[in-house]
Amino acid sequence: MADGSAPPGPDPVGPAPAVRPYLVTAGRVADAASGRALPVETQVVATAEGLFALGGLSFEQHDIVAACRLPQSLAELAARLRLHLNVVRVLAEDLREEGLLAVYVPDAEATHDASVLRRVIDGLRAVPDSPRGTE
Amino acid sequence: MTPTEPLPARGPAAPAAVRPPLPVKMVIAGGFGVGKTTAVGAISEIEPLTTEASITEVAAGVDDLTHTPRKTTTTVAMDFGCLTIDPTLKLYLFGTPGQERFGFMWDDIVEGAVGALVIVDTRRLDDCYAAVDYFEHKGIPFAVAVNAFDGTVEHALEEVRWALDVSAGVPVVVFDARERGSVRDTLLVVLELALARSES
Ligand SMILES: Nc1nc2c(ncn2[C@@H]2O[C@H](COP(=O)(O)OP(=O)(O)OP(=O)(O)O)[C@@H](O)[C@H]2O)c(=O)[nH]1
Ligand SMILES: [Mg+2]
Repeated sequence: MADGSAPPGPDPVGPAPAVRPYLVTAGRVADAASGRALPVETQVVATAEGLFALGGLSFEQHDIVAACRLPQSLAELAARLRLHLNVVRVLAEDLREEGLLAVYVPDAEATHDASVLRRVIDGLRAVPDSPRGTE
Repeated sequence: MTPTEPLPARGPAAPAAVRPPLPVKMVIAGGFGVGKTTAVGAISEIEPLTTEASITEVAAGVDDLTHTPRKTTTTVAMDFGCLTIDPTLKLYLFGTPGQERFGFMWDDIVEGAVGALVIVDTRRLDDCYAAVDYFEHKGIPFAVAVNAFDGTVEHALEEVRWALDVSAGVPVVVFDARERGSVRDTLLVVLELALARSES
């Protein structure tokens, strides 16, 4: 996963628990319990192929690729499209396999790296006191 | 991916070539109504978003003779926000829902987080035990933030520390979830912990 773009190990898809069916994913949900689900902050962005194929996509697949013109996290995508996180996980994985979506799984080693943490600290320190608009 | 690698030029002609930032995740936990969403909203550059996520509830096998833990998946509303540090780095803050009861597993949301904040309302200290236990058990750097509702903190910080029985290395601070500067400084306490750990 050196370039951060490969998916983690095997397909993070398992049998649906008896919670409720997910019609858009033909009953599949991401298997969070197995620990192989994509992290919620995983970044997704449409590929050139994805944008090219947009007209031929339907429903959620279309909405996801269209929303991913700009990179965002799986959580943002789920919130904006009002889909359950696990539905987005499954669909993103499908779209990645079809080459329509690039999925950047965050590398835990990179995010926990001291130089990265220092940059976050410096960036946060620069945040001014008062929130915009209020007070 | 080298975290410091610069982004390629971002032109309208090649939107699909945009390389996403490296997401750094922090978690904000605490009992019902302690100010999780308020804290996320105070620092986030976007209005906090909400999505449905699944968490696992582990119930001890008291109902049967096998004593096998029974796992149930519950759908919960989780809210979150973010803060762009620079074009290659973005901080995400996730509020973990459902911590009013023991036995919830937030692994699905928390996996990979660099640190966590447990918000505490001193009028209902019990509500945060589950979160404190969880992060201690997971070995995730965290701080306890006492939300000073109306400026009053009924318990002295040492009393809170004693009541929660947190380890000596866990910072216990007072903050105001509505104040951006206060939330910023409290998150910095957690990040300094995470940094110290990454350097050791
Ligand atoms: N006076 C005062 N009110 C606060 C403070 N922080 C939060 N509140 C208020 O307390 C209420 C609950 O805050 P939330 O941020 O929604 O709490 P939460 O932890 O997200 O709540 P749940 O998601 O329902 O568990 C809101 O009405 C806030 O405006 C504070 O520091 N002082
Ligand atoms: Mg909330």
